[in-house]
Amino acid sequence: MRDVAIIGVGMIPFGRRDEDTLVDMLAYASMKALDDAGVDAVDALYVANMGGGVIQRQTAIASALVDRLSLLPAAADLVENGPASGGSAVKNGVLAVASGYYDVVLVAGGEKMREVTGWRATDFVATLTHPETEYPYGITLPGMAGMFTRLYMEKYGVTREMLVQIAIKNQTMGALNPYAHVEMMITKEGVMDSPHSVVNNPPAATPLHLYDMCPVSDGAAAVILCPLNRVKELTKNLPVVVAGFGQATDTHTLAEREDPTDLKAVTLAAQQAFERAKMKPEEISVAELHDAFTILEIAESEHVGFFKKGEGGKAVLEGKTRLGGQLPINVSGGLKARGHPVGATGVAQIVELTWQLRHELPKERQVKGAKAGFSINFGGFGNNVVAFVLKRGEK
Amino acid sequence: MKEITAYKCKKCGRIHYPKHERCLTCKHREFEPIHPEGNVKLLTFTQIFNLPWGFDERFLYIGVVQFANGVKAMGQIDAPDGADLRLGMTLKAEWEPVRTVFDEPVYGLKLKPLG
Ligand SMILES: [Zn+2]
Repeated sequence: MRDVAIIGVGMIPFGRRDEDTLVDMLAYASMKALDDAGVDAVDALYVANMGGGVIQRQTAIASALVDRLSLLPAAADLVENGPASGGSAVKNGVLAVASGYYDVVLVAGGEKMREVTGWRATDFVATLTHPETEYPYGITLPGMAGMFTRLYMEKYGVTREMLVQIAIKNQTMGALNPYAHVEMMITKEGVMDSPHSVVNNPPAATPLHLYDMCPVSDGAAAVILCPLNRVKELTKNLPVVVAGFGQATDTHTLAEREDPTDLKAVTLAAQQAFERAKMKPEEISVAELHDAFTILEIAESEHVGFFKKGEGGKAVLEGKTRLGGQLPINVSGGLKARGHPVGATGVAQIVELTWQLRHELPKERQVKGAKAGFSINFGGFGNNVVAFVLKRGEK
Repeated sequence: MKEITAYKCKKCGRIHYPKHERCLTCKHREFEPIHPEGNVKLLTFTQIFNLPWGFDERFLYIGVVQFANGVKAMGQIDAPDGADLRLGMTLKAEWEPVRTVFDEPVYGLKLKPLG
C-alpha cells in the first residue's frame, strides 16, 4: 500500500445557500480544491451525498459533477453512507490511491438541506433509522441522541453544564470561522442560568436542548489526494499525510445494543486509525469530532481514548479542549457551529485539519505547531463511523 | 403481543428484534420466533419537540423498553406533557396507531404508564 497525501482542499461557507443547487456547491468546493493543489486533471472522483435522491430528486450526482468540472473521462462514484458519507468517500479515495490504481483523486462532499422545511429535513435524516422498528414512531436523530444522553448522564455523571460549555466553546470558535453557519457567540447566562434561558434554549429532545443541536445547513467541501511520492511533481503545497484511517459498524437499531452507552464503532474505528498510523491519542494536536449533539463531543473524546470514560466532561469544564488547551477539539466550531450538511461534514473535517496542519489559519484559530490531527465522522446513531489520523508532511 | 415477532437464537439464546439472518452474538442461523409478553421496563426515553414530517403533535415521548421475556423494542409513550417518567419504571404495552399515512393508521407499540 502506498502512502497517501492530501495536496489540495477547498470549501464554501456553510449556511443557507438558496442561490446554489447541490451540484453548484459541490462544483465550487471542488474547483477551490483543484486550484489549491494546482492540478487540472484527476483519475477519479468520489462524491459524498446523502439526500440528493430524497430532497432534490436528483440521482447520479457524481456523474453530474464530473461533467460540470470538465474532468471527463475520470471515474466517478457516489458514496452514500448517511451522515458518514463524507468520511466514507475520503476513505474510498485514500484506498484508491493507496492501492496504486489511481494517482490523483478528488473527493467532494455536499448537501443541500435548507430548500425544504425543518419538518421535512428532520424526516429526511430520520430515514436512516430502521424502517419497521424505529422510523414509524416518529423518532428523529435528536431523539436518538436524547435517549443516549439520558443514559450517558446517569452512567458517567455528565451534567447539563458540561453540555452547555461545549455549545459555548464551539459557537465561540465558529464565530471566528468564516466558513461556519452559526457565527453567534452564546453565554451560559443566556442558555442556562437566566430566566430567559427557558425561552432562548427550550428542550428539544430531552434532556437535550435547542443549543445542544447542530443546525440544518447547506454546504460543500473537497480534497485532492495523491501518492506521497508524487507530491513534489504535482503541487507546491505542503502535503498532509493520511497516516491512518478506520471504519467500523454497530447494530442498526439502538434497542439491540447490549450497552447503548458503549459506542463500539467509534472505539474500533479510532483504534484502527491509530494502529495504522502507529500513533497514540496523546500524540494528536487537534481533533475534529462529530458534535451533531453536544453529548457526542464528550462521548467520542472518551471512546477514542483522549480521556477516560467519565473524564471527557470534566476536561471540557477545565478548558482542556479549548484552543490553547491540552487537546483543542472542534476549533472550527464543529458541526455545532460550522453546520452539518450531512454529506459534506466528513470532508469538511479533513479540510479543517489540513489547514491546521499546514499552519495556515489566522492566529486566533490556529493550533500552534499542530503536527497531527484526528477526526471522527459519526453515521447513523453510531452505527457506521469513520476515523482519520492525519500528519503534517514535509516540504 | 402477537403483532411483534422477535427471534431467539437456538444456539446462544440471544433475542433479536428485528430479524437478522445470523445471530449477532454467535452467527448461528436458526431462530425460534417468540412474541413479547406482559408489561415492559423503561430503559431510556426522550420527549421530542421538533417532530418529523407526518406528525402534527406538539411533542412525542419515545422510549426503548424491555419485555419480561427479554425482547427490547422502541415505542411511543402515551403520557401528558410533564409526565413523571423514570428509567426502570414499568409500563403497559399496547398495539395501537402510532401515526397516519395517507389517512390510514399505522400501528405500533404504544406504552402507557400504569394506573
Ligand atoms: Zn446466537
